[in-house]
Amino acid sequence: RCFSMDVATTTAENAGEMVKDELAEKCQKLFQAFLEEFQTGDGEVKYVREAEELIRPERNTLLVSFTDLEGFNQELATTIQEEYYRVYPFLCRAVRNFARDHGNVPLNKEFYVALEDLPTRHKIRELSSMRIGSLVRISGQVVRTHPVHPELVSGTFLCMDCQGMIKDVPQQFKYSPPTICRNPVCNNRARFHLDTHKSKFIDFQKVRIQETQAELPRGSIPRSLEVVLRAEAVETAQAGDRCDFTGTLIVVPDVSQLRTPGVRAETSTRVAGGPQGYDSEGVRGLKALGVRELSYRLAFLACNVAPTNPRFGGKELREEEQTAESIKSQMTEKEWEKVFEMSQDKNLYHNLCTSLFPTIHGNDEVKRGILLMLFGGVPKTTMEGTSLRGDVNVCIVGDPSTAKSQFLKHVEEFSPRAVYTSGKASTAAGLTAAVVRDEESNEFVIEAGALMLADNGVCCIDEFDKMDLKDQVAIHEAMEQQTISITKAGVKATLNARTSILAAANPVGGRYDRSKSLKQNVNLTAPIMSRFDLFFILVDDCNEVTDYAIARRIVDLHSRIEESVDRLYTLDEIRRYLLFARQFKPKISSESEEFIVEQYKRLRQRDSSGGVSKSAWRITVRQLESMIRLSEGMARMHCCDEVQPKHVKEAFRLLNKSIIRVETPDINLEQEDEMEEEEEEQQEVNGVNGHVNGVNGHVNGINGHTNGETGSQPKPSLRLSFTEYRRISNLLVLHLRRAEEEEELRKSAVVNWYLKEIESEIDSEEDLVNKKGLIEKVLHRLVHYDHILIELSQAGLKGSEINVFVSHRCAPCFRPVAAHAEEPDPGSVSVFADTCLPRCLPVQQDGHTEEHPATEQHPATEQHPATEHSRHPH
Amino acid sequence: MPSTHDWINNPLDVVEGMFAASQSNPKSGWEAKVVEFFKDRLKEKDAHTWVPSLNDVPLHYLKPNSLVKFRCLIQDMFDPEFFMGAYETVDPSTNAKVLRCGRYKDVTECGVDFNSRNTVTAERQTFYCVPIPGENPWFSLILSHSYACSSQARVVPSTSYAPTRQKRTEDGQMCASQGHTEQHGNGDCKRQETEAPSSQTASASHLDLNFPLPGEKGPSCLVKVYEDWDSFKLNDTLEVFGILSVSPALSALADEKDASSSILDPTESMETAEEQRVHSPPASLVPRLHMLYARPLPHNNPLLPSATLEDNSAFLSSTLSEMASVRAELLTYLTHVLLGDALAAEYLILHLISNVYARRDVLPLGKFAMNLSGCPAAALYTQRFYQIIQQLVPSSFYLGMSLQNMNQMRLVPKKDYVANRLVSGALQLARNTFLFLDETHLEQGQLDTTGVRNVTALGNLISWQKVDYDFNYHQMEFPCNINVLIASEGRSLLPSDCQIHLQSQVSPPNMEEYLSNIQLHPQTSSQLNKFRIYLSVARQLDYSISDEMTKSVEDDFVDMRKDDPQSVSAEDLHRMLVVARLLSLSLGQTSLTRDSWLRAKHIDMLRRSRMEQHQCVNGNEP
Repeated sequence: RCFSMDVATTTAENAGEMVKDELAEKCQKLFQAFLEEFQTGDGEVKYVREAEELIRPERNTLLVSFTDLEGFNQELATTIQEEYYRVYPFLCRAVRNFARDHGNVPLNKEFYVALEDLPTRHKIRELSSMRIGSLVRISGQVVRTHPVHPELVSGTFLCMDCQGMIKDVPQQFKYSPPTICRNPVCNNRARFHLDTHKSKFIDFQKVRIQETQAELPRGSIPRSLEVVLRAEAVETAQAGDRCDFTGTLIVVPDVSQLRTPGVRAETSTRVAGGPQGYDSEGVRGLKALGVRELSYRLAFLACNVAPTNPRFGGKELREEEQTAESIKSQMTEKEWEKVFEMSQDKNLYHNLCTSLFPTIHGNDEVKRGILLMLFGGVPKTTMEGTSLRGDVNVCIVGDPSTAKSQFLKHVEEFSPRAVYTSGKASTAAGLTAAVVRDEESNEFVIEAGALMLADNGVCCIDEFDKMDLKDQVAIHEAMEQQTISITKAGVKATLNARTSILAAANPVGGRYDRSKSLKQNVNLTAPIMSRFDLFFILVDDCNEVTDYAIARRIVDLHSRIEESVDRLYTLDEIRRYLLFARQFKPKISSESEEFIVEQYKRLRQRDSSGGVSKSAWRITVRQLESMIRLSEGMARMHCCDEVQPKHVKEAFRLLNKSIIRVETPDINLEQEDEMEEEEEEQQEVNGVNGHVNGVNGHVNGINGHTNGETGSQPKPSLRLSFTEYRRISNLLVLHLRRAEEEEELRKSAVVNWYLKEIESEIDSEEDLVNKKGLIEKVLHRLVHYDHILIELSQAGLKGSEINVFVSHRCAPCFRPVAAHAEEPDPGSVSVFADTCLPRCLPVQQDGHTEEHPATEQHPATEQHPATEHSRHPH
Repeated sequence: MPSTHDWINNPLDVVEGMFAASQSNPKSGWEAKVVEFFKDRLKEKDAHTWVPSLNDVPLHYLKPNSLVKFRCLIQDMFDPEFFMGAYETVDPSTNAKVLRCGRYKDVTECGVDFNSRNTVTAERQTFYCVPIPGENPWFSLILSHSYACSSQARVVPSTSYAPTRQKRTEDGQMCASQGHTEQHGNGDCKRQETEAPSSQTASASHLDLNFPLPGEKGPSCLVKVYEDWDSFKLNDTLEVFGILSVSPALSALADEKDASSSILDPTESMETAEEQRVHSPPASLVPRLHMLYARPLPHNNPLLPSATLEDNSAFLSSTLSEMASVRAELLTYLTHVLLGDALAAEYLILHLISNVYARRDVLPLGKFAMNLSGCPAAALYTQRFYQIIQQLVPSSFYLGMSLQNMNQMRLVPKKDYVANRLVSGALQLARNTFLFLDETHLEQGQLDTTGVRNVTALGNLISWQKVDYDFNYHQMEFPCNINVLIASEGRSLLPSDCQIHLQSQVSPPNMEEYLSNIQLHPQTSSQLNKFRIYLSVARQLDYSISDEMTKSVEDDFVDMRKDDPQSVSAEDLHRMLVVARLLSLSLGQTSLTRDSWLRAKHIDMLRRSRMEQHQCVNGNEP
């Protein structure tokens, strides 16, 4: 049935006679000249040394770069590319001659050539019968490998009748004994014995590859293709690998009419079966009548295999080892232009966020955090050889029906190597790895878990808190060491799991309780918690403005039939950009280093001052690491080779938002003043180098923080529950808004108005004084601490104040405000008005200052759905 | 031009004719003409009913190489196949060469000249197709009725088979009861699955026909697609019109392959024995169907005209006018079935007409998975309930969520790389299949790895309307559109879009009797048909929300939040909009009115107040 390539028109009588293929022979000459002459940049004849290597008995394949070939002789390169199958044996012959010239190799040793660096790559789906015989490069995922077999390439046969020896009968794909004995007086046509000792064999292996997910049209089953590997290419690909294969398409079963004329000439140089050969193959039954199946398949004959992607658990190329250049070279001109355009985008940060999560309303900080997670930090190895992860882990804690799962699902959808799993439904084995007994072979095999499947990607774990405690411990190692160890059933293995983790958890009581700390709200152990770089809290908060925006978003989703998702960048563009940007390994500039130290000290300072006594966190070196990772991610996003202070600033801001402000305990109005002061002091004392060393001692500070904070506890403070604080601030903001049409308000006017409002609640003179003090404190806090209101002094705003404002509550307006931050004009209220503020109200204050309600959004919590500036109901 | 009989009985003659005619003009595009010809023929009034159906007529009654139709689901897609679109044969005695056409055929004529320069290589795609999983018995009854009528109109000797079997009637019931009565249920079903139609049992015993659901029967088919194959997606439901190829030569050739592959040469065959078994099964078991034309099935309801609703305005307007009254009847009927609970019945109607009409990013819109809690565990209530729903929907599947089933069943399709095929699972279902999950069968115990995976898969299906097919090295998401109803005693462990607690109006002592009475009141078939049409039509209607209503809904939401922020979340608004949509459609209204919105709010409020009375006790948080 599968009659070989060798079936040709020559008859048995002139078997072995060469039909000249002039083109191929010319190719052989030119190729040999190329091997002899091609020099590298420094004048060394590149392939001589490699040919010398071929003396070693296990070597037989010379790896030749196609780019070299093109540089040497474009015409030759083109011919090889187009007529690959036809000229391949001649190229191998050239290698053989070349090897013989440069080394003492056995005369009967066969040599092969492997080509690499073929510029264009084809998708499996693009391969058609048009490409049969020409040189192509394809990539795919290896899904199945067969054992390696020896394949007969050249047989020596013994005639059973006359005992004559028939040497060097070429074979291809098919066991083909001679059709007739060469002894003119012997008429044996059937009885031959293969002399295996005198025949030549080659290693042969079949593997099957499958379309990668990225190439697959949605809703289709991936196509697969059998690949034939030979010589040194065998055993280079393992199931699960993604590899590039260079070679050519062939036809199975081989149908002679599919050959191009050139191929026919080539194959006819091999032993011939002739038309009778068809019969002599012992075809029986229907086939003898000439009935056959109409269909046949294509297979791929590869001469070279190279890994496309980091290999599962292997030590091969990590993604990080690719260079920006190599990524660039894989892109088309247009794709590259887009990447470049994106890198120049001034609003890239914002635009990426909105393009990534178009259907999720608000929650900008979470989006930013996830974005930085996707960019990731730079993994490092210390001098002692400890490796520090570069992956950023993010945890989202939130009330039910806030968009937690949607975030995870988005990331899974977007990221090429992401796994989505639910903590509730995952066992540790499912998440890390399991040792299972193979049903057929009864052998133990390691089954990859979600974390390993997401190696170099993102592992999204929903309902993280529902996970079994021991499972949490199991992934603990993965989160920090980035490996998974298995010791089970006699199998000991350490596997890579270099994965960022994006987790979502529900608060303990179903809803997030603001009066408690994050730790009390989440059912996670401290060690696990400390492994997350960023924690975000999504609180379902009630506010007219956000409610409108949410309602609009949802109704829009349901009422519009046409696609209501608008993205500035397509997901593919972002993917390419990510790939490119992730090649950067930004270094921290000394300026940034100082800045980091400074910010870290500030955090530590604040931490130890009892102001956030309910804080979930002790600020430790882990947060320092997180800050560095996030800064690096930030720098990567802008394709910078250096981490600049502005990157650190944003990293600090995010970290600050995520770890310190997550809890909203009772508002301690007195405390804030002190903290502000302390912070300022701290800033002045900055620039203590070598500070980092001192920090290391506090690594375990998370659990047992015995840091003496007792000394810093001040006088009995003026406390206010969070809800009360919010109530008051809401009241004030609403009032300020209503009063907008009228004149500017002075601070005293606001205070008076408020006291009048609560007149009924005031019983005594003393009470009035207290309330007055309170409201002033609240105003102070709103201005200086929460930055809900802005005090506009006539003397002008200090730039730093605006920056602080920026870094706080008013998440969605970060970008526009920052853009204007340099403008020192105190009167430029409109700057804020058209960015995020529903209404802006200049308030005349006693001390020649103006007060200005920046926003009425959720005064003291972040991370809940916030307003979109474009959609404002007013 | 050939007569009616000819184009159905000998479609290859038409093909050959056009092929021969094209030889003078190589650029004639005869392939397109062939397709056009058959399309035109089938467009003629009722013409498609004359074509015998593989679903209803046993294979051995069908004439080889005749035109047949097949209502099916694309279960798997094989690698592309190359074939000789045209080839030359040589007559050994006269040496005369004849050019032949290879399209729509599996084997060549005798004496192929492999060295001819006139050979044309072409590509085609093979789909492995199975009958639509879970098709309910009433479905084929209606079809066979219409078929019987039409087949009287003409005489086609080889296909004059009037189907009498009601094969699936018992199957459906057996499977329904299986989860409960037979604890080893699944194992049994698996075995049945491999059973072929009676006549071929012996030869087929080793061949797994790969039906998604256990206990399914019917032919599966290798459909060869010649054009535009990229437009077909996995799990699409189609009615394929094509040329039936059951040439015994195919099997014979396959046997020879088997024999030859045992020869020592490893390079001999690119396919392993397992692959061959799967990719070239005996044609007598898995016939080949060379596609001429395929019609997507938007609804798979034989009672509806096959054209889309927009094209059939007469039918649409007549149905729409009756909508409200049919709804009232159906509501009464379902209220009765749901032990007198009208609210649950109302929600059930909404659930039955729900449909994923769009996806925004990762969000499937329009899904409405329902958890009917408070189901009486006694007296096989859930099974009875399912049987009644079965009478209403075209296709459905009952999945008893016993530990046994969860730990053993294959729900998620998995790629088998040895045989190179997608091994099906129970969640590989056609769109709008009604999936009934009976949680009342769940008992305490241990879920093993498979069990955990299965429960996860069900959860993902409900939340995202996607199933992650297992490709071993990675998972691949396939979107689906399945109506999931979970019956449970308490709140289900699976997520759902809406939970309604059944409030029985029937006192326990007469429950048994009540239930049997439901069974004893078979609706007249005309009324049942009305219900069936109603449900399918309501699902297909278009729907819109005016700007005015948009504004009003937004205001409403903000007002509700103002009163009590805890009472309504964004999620609730989502759901209420879905309820409002379904409510409008169930009344035949194609845009949201103030009344419907208020009514949607009202019933949702009623439902939720009921839930508060039955606070969740098993700790499954929202």
